[in-house]
Amino acid sequence: MVRGDAGVIWRKDMMNKFMTTIAKWMALLGGAVLVLLIVITCLSVIGRSLNTIGHYDYLEDNVAFIAHFFQYFKPISGDFEIVEAGIAFAILSFFPWCSLNRGHATVDIFTSGLSDSKNRFLAFFWEVIFFAIITLITWRMFVGMSDKMRYGETTLLLQTPVWWGFAVCAFASSVATMVAGYSAYCRFQELRRGFDLTHASGSAGH
Amino acid sequence: MSNFEIGLISIPILMALIFMRMPIGLAMFVVGIAGTAIISGNTIAVMARLKTETYSTFSSYSLSIVPLFLLMGQFATLGGMSKSLFKAAESFLGHRKGGVGMAAIGACAGFGSICGSSLATAATMGQVALPELKRYGYPGGFATATLAAGGTLGILIPPSVVLVIYAILTEQNIAKLFMAAFIPGILAAIGYMITISIYVRLYPGSSGVRERVPYSERFKAILEVWPVLTVFTLVVGGIYLGWFTPTEAAAIGAAGTGIIAWANGGMTKKSLTESMLITGSSSAMIFMIVLGAGFFNAFLALTQVPQELSSLIVSQGYSPWLVLTIILCLYLIFGCIMDSLSMILLTIPIFFPIISGLDFGLTPEETAIWFGILVLIVVEVGLITPPVGMNLFIINSMDPETRIVDTYKAVLPFVASDIIRTIILVMFPGITLYLMRVFY
Repeated sequence: MVRGDAGVIWRKDMMNKFMTTIAKWMALLGGAVLVLLIVITCLSVIGRSLNTIGHYDYLEDNVAFIAHFFQYFKPISGDFEIVEAGIAFAILSFFPWCSLNRGHATVDIFTSGLSDSKNRFLAFFWEVIFFAIITLITWRMFVGMSDKMRYGETTLLLQTPVWWGFAVCAFASSVATMVAGYSAYCRFQELRRGFDLTHASGSAGH
Repeated sequence: MSNFEIGLISIPILMALIFMRMPIGLAMFVVGIAGTAIISGNTIAVMARLKTETYSTFSSYSLSIVPLFLLMGQFATLGGMSKSLFKAAESFLGHRKGGVGMAAIGACAGFGSICGSSLATAATMGQVALPELKRYGYPGGFATATLAAGGTLGILIPPSVVLVIYAILTEQNIAKLFMAAFIPGILAAIGYMITISIYVRLYPGSSGVRERVPYSERFKAILEVWPVLTVFTLVVGGIYLGWFTPTEAAAIGAAGTGIIAWANGGMTKKSLTESMLITGSSSAMIFMIVLGAGFFNAFLALTQVPQELSSLIVSQGYSPWLVLTIILCLYLIFGCIMDSLSMILLTIPIFFPIISGLDFGLTPEETAIWFGILVLIVVEVGLITPPVGMNLFIINSMDPETRIVDTYKAVLPFVASDIIRTIILVMFPGITLYLMRVFY
């Protein structure tokens, strides 16, 4: 994909560095949240298993102190509510990196016969549409958040306000919108200059 | 224009957009909201739905399995397990004709049991097995084709990301689907091994043979793969037995493979970053398609297209088997140009009601699960069919000396083996449903 001195031009570009860094850190933040959710879920499962063991009749009847020890452990209450909000945030945090690296699934076979400039035009055009749609998504998410805020809706078990989840997601979605706008700008530059640009930090193996 | 007509027209429009390289999820999203707006005559309903739909889709508890399984697969590639799996398989099979190739297939099957993605399985096993295959004189194209085919076992043998999506779309039990995928997965591995054994007999001299390994060493090699066995038993066994939800199982699996990777020294800052970024990129791609499919399918449901099509086909009195064959053939064709998840999200809402309306002499649940496994197999064939077989590309890019055309040629016997297996599974639903019937 690299042509001419594209890589050199790109690396000098402050804006590119900024966007790439932000996209990468958002993705890593999402990954960290994913790991955190894994830890919470595992602890919850362990707690529940030990608690179940503690309630075996045999243990309770014969070695009550061991049974009581096991009963001390409990699953984390409302763990799935944390998982739900956390996953939503993680997924949206992955969006900037994905769109910066052209990670969204496409069918290329019918356009592979077109000229390079036509293909660059298509890439630019769809990137603009993507930018428009993700702007729409982000805007509606903010509206949805203010709705939830107004109604004071809370989750079932933890009783945390639902808008918290919306807020972190709307933040991630805003970053995704910014990066999508930048991607559209990149595609425009490629169309104008007539060669493909590479990003400073390379791309995720896809 | 009636709603039904709008719905019917939307499908070729969507396909045209996708073929013009519009990202698949984006295309479904745009057609879905535009269609809904046209039908309702205004944008009020769409705008109201957009407020919560993104959050509720992305925060779905059952969908959260997807990034967790992806991360589990990425960690599995870091753990060095591919090497010990290959060694264990080689010690049992290596002395046979074509044995090293068979060992690669066996190791792929083993790796598939802790990895739910075909590409990751193909790529990881490729790194280990490709040099070995070449060392024993396997021709380049045959070696790459073997690994590309073996890679499809990653998704066939549970856990499997595609099956999770199918289960959510059709509201089926994930545990039962995973159970049903087991025997077809094993059959796939056996089929590939038979293919290799026929190939090396037709082209003598195309492969070298290892010397026989004594049994004591074979068992030592088997013991080396205990972490894989533990994680697989915990994850898949836990789901089968109902110890934990599939999401919890996926979290435990990711933790397990993560610990293995860390213990084997595969977890460096660089490799951890890389696996996070790959997981993130794939997750974002998948969820974009899921989000778009949500809007598109809600729109289709409004137009009644799936229901009308289904009742039309059922009332015509076509043979169920003919309809099933046509649908599976459509998947084979589409699989050559589109990735498996997009294809499933795009087509299941239309095809599933049709299949559900037909009588195959099975209960509705059995039909749904059997059809799911068949679809899984035929879309996976798409990964190894030229010209757009992703597995072929991945493996071929690891071996600069082999031309892609050679891989294309050598993979055809494996595709044939896939098709024969599909025919067998279509003719005898009992094979797929056996484990499920025994355990539930």
